[in-house]
Amino acid sequence: MTDRILITGATSGIGNALTKRIAHDNDVLVTGSRSAELVSPDLPAGVRYVQADQTRPEEAVDLIDGALESSGWSGLDLAVLNAGIGFACEPHAETPDTIHQTLDVNLMASMLLARSLSGRLEAAGGKLVLIGSVAHRGASGFATYAASKAGLHGFARALREEWRNRIRVQIIHPGPTATPMHARAGFDPGRIGRLFLKPETMAAMVHRAIRADKSPVTVSFGRYILSGAFAGRRL
Amino acid sequence: MTGTALVTGGASGLGQALVRQLLAKDMHVVCVDLVPPDTHANLIFIKCDLADRRAVNIGWSAILAAGPYDLVVLNAGVSATGQFESIPAEVYRRLITLNTETPIRMASGLMREAALRSGAQLVFVSSLSHFTGYPGAAVYAASKDALAVYAKSIRAAFRNRGVSVISMYPGPLRTPHAERHAPAGANASRRMQPNEAALILLAGTIAGDKVIIPGIPAKLTALAGRLFPATVTRWMRREIFQKLDRSVF
Ligand SMILES: NC(=O)c1ccc[n+]([C@@H]2O[C@H](COP(=O)([O-])OP(=O)(O)OC[C@H]3O[C@@H](n4cnc5c(N)ncnc54)[C@H](OP(=O)(O)O)[C@@H]3O)[C@@H](O)[C@H]2O)c1
Repeated sequence: MTDRILITGATSGIGNALTKRIAHDNDVLVTGSRSAELVSPDLPAGVRYVQADQTRPEEAVDLIDGALESSGWSGLDLAVLNAGIGFACEPHAETPDTIHQTLDVNLMASMLLARSLSGRLEAAGGKLVLIGSVAHRGASGFATYAASKAGLHGFARALREEWRNRIRVQIIHPGPTATPMHARAGFDPGRIGRLFLKPETMAAMVHRAIRADKSPVTVSFGRYILSGAFAGRRL
Repeated sequence: MTGTALVTGGASGLGQALVRQLLAKDMHVVCVDLVPPDTHANLIFIKCDLADRRAVNIGWSAILAAGPYDLVVLNAGVSATGQFESIPAEVYRRLITLNTETPIRMASGLMREAALRSGAQLVFVSSLSHFTGYPGAAVYAASKDALAVYAKSIRAAFRNRGVSVISMYPGPLRTPHAERHAPAGANASRRMQPNEAALILLAGTIAGDKVIIPGIPAKLTALAGRLFPATVTRWMRREIFQKLDRSVF
């Protein structure tokens, strides 16, 4: 069956790998903050791209709403709210600007999107998936990032219960993944970085978690080993 | 106690009780709020809408100028209860700014600008909902979880710079604010008096506590939420969300 799927932050990393994974048998609309010319080669044919900068959450919501409207999608089967950013530094070195951006992109925009998508999701018996992070329990070098992901965690926990029997809600917390996010955040993981999962592997694990519907759920290196992927089992 | 304290949201509820108790202990108090608290010789009032980014930008220099501080209580917060999607986006914007973004900016900025004296204590007022989940107030729950985890995340870095970070998780208080958000038929007498919560907070700062959950019922609720998260959130849905007869924001 072909699902109508929205994925935010699909121009890079996990969101991009997930898009490539599911694009061939679904109708997919994706977002990012960069202009359209900069993304086309990275997206599978047939995927529609909307530039929606979540540092301005209210505008991003309107742009995405408009795109769903013009695509004629009155229902939405799956929304994966994945766009995210972080800034790695000591807490006192975070500026008002980096704090605003982190909370706007990761938390505010995702919550406002959940709000504006609720009608379409309900109409299709759809599902809302939030991408958190294992950092949601706290991280000293990424304090506001950790806070934003904790916010998503609490949001999902409450909304999953509130929307029970109406719209499924799930939060997935990925572990360390080798995407451009770390460099963008000004963080060099050093040799530990070699242990990070590949974005394609993470996307496969996220995809499987979405089908299983457990929430909250952590997908990380430990899970990777446990899943038997090391023995060559196809994810 | 001596020195200067900064209290946000000191004009009502827990903040008001705190301001009064601190003044009674001869501390100098700086209160940031929209409405002025009762006047007092040792009290400075800074009027600032902490739910508005631009207002915080403008008020920031006055907050810095009134320091340095020995005690900071980031207490100002609001709730929004009702069906999640029926509450306007602007309400959520102000809520996240007030409950999460402004306290994070203030903590980070006070440290950067050396506005915290060595040995100072920095208190974040989160909520007992951090342990229980809060269906019917998803964005409020998010805001308080974010604040709790921010406090946890900066604790070590701030300690290295001589400032201790305290997380407070109050359950329902008997304040005008809580009254508005309570479901129909809720029993107000079960809510803690703000004065009592303020006393517990001050005792905790003296004892050097890192985590303050005021009162036995709140402590038990937090424990239950830790042990049985899904069951407790389900229970919260029944006890709160299903009994809400209106949206309040
Ligand atoms: N990598 C990890 O180790 C890790 C671990 C745990 C959780 N996560 C989470 O997983 C998600 C994906 O991260 P990733 O590692 O794949 O990062 P990434 O490679 O940096 O990709 C981030 C994506 O988010 C989009 N994005 C960033 N800022 C945006 C904005 N202002 N408006 C709209 N979109 C924006 C980016 O689009 P543009 O480039 O076009 O702006 C990009 O498509 C994030 O939520 C992240 O927090 C990652």
